[in-house]
Amino acid sequence: MADRPVSVARTIATVAPAAAAIAVFGVLYGATARPLIGPELTLLSSLIVFSGATQFTMIGLLAAGAAAPAVLATVAILNVRHLMMGAVLRSSLGPSRLRRALLAWFLLDESFGFTMLAADRVAPGPKRIDVAERTLLITGLCCYAAWLAGTGLGILGAGLPGLEGVAAAVFPVLFIALAALTARTGNIAIRAAGAAAITAVICVTLPDWRALAPVVSGLVVAMPSRPGSDD
Amino acid sequence: MSGLLLAAIAAITYGSRLAAMAVLPRPTGRLEQILSRVTPAIFASIATLSLFTDQPGLVEPPILLAALGALLVTPRRSFALCLVAGIAGYLVGGLL
Repeated sequence: MADRPVSVARTIATVAPAAAAIAVFGVLYGATARPLIGPELTLLSSLIVFSGATQFTMIGLLAAGAAAPAVLATVAILNVRHLMMGAVLRSSLGPSRLRRALLAWFLLDESFGFTMLAADRVAPGPKRIDVAERTLLITGLCCYAAWLAGTGLGILGAGLPGLEGVAAAVFPVLFIALAALTARTGNIAIRAAGAAAITAVICVTLPDWRALAPVVSGLVVAMPSRPGSDD
Repeated sequence: MSGLLLAAIAAITYGSRLAAMAVLPRPTGRLEQILSRVTPAIFASIATLSLFTDQPGLVEPPILLAALGALLVTPRRSFALCLVAGIAGYLVGGLL
């Protein structure tokens, strides 16, 4: 217990750069979403969704004229990664289902990364569970606060000249960065490039169907390259 | 956009977190392989989608250069570096 305050401070210091980046993207999200869905729904979306990738996707698809089923299908597939991250995290968390259910709110790409990093430094056992749960909670809280603060500032500053121009460029930059971070092998990176190529073809040849491109291209490139193969 | 759609999106998002951490067993085998490939593909697809307009056509050059800037530093696999390179590309595009 004596070293807990130090550990908390160290965890906050570790997550601070990521939280700052999340705040920046929160500002851009607030500025981008406000003209499309209004300030109330923009703030509410950050309060109850708390997922930059999901919220930017939602706004991007709505701006492209996608219907609700297409938005929901894309969001569902986008959140499939939570199944993987959560499953990996479970081995480092305690047996309390209620506690895991509460901690699940803070499952993000960033908090997942910091938590796994911290847990891997401790031998399996009660200490590791404590470290993992505390890291997930602290990093999640920091990210949540940064996301909400950024969204609020973005809503307030939506009319600032220059910010909207930057916001218009944020979608490709954000998702290229996310693709790069999540493509952990060359094979997966090539498949991601394939999805981008399929999407480009759909945008040019079937522009009315472009909103479905993430679903279609994502599933096409994720299939095994050979029948019966895991590759 | 309606509040109902937003609530459904929130339910899907938290539901996926909850299911993984408190309900479902860990995916294994071929399913694990397939799922591991979907996420970056979706991100790459959405990035590409944001470079096209409804016409169809490409977006403004500064946005294309922002994407190019981020793309060039992807081998470093740094979120912050992609952001900085994207902003740099956007600024260069604005100057040109």
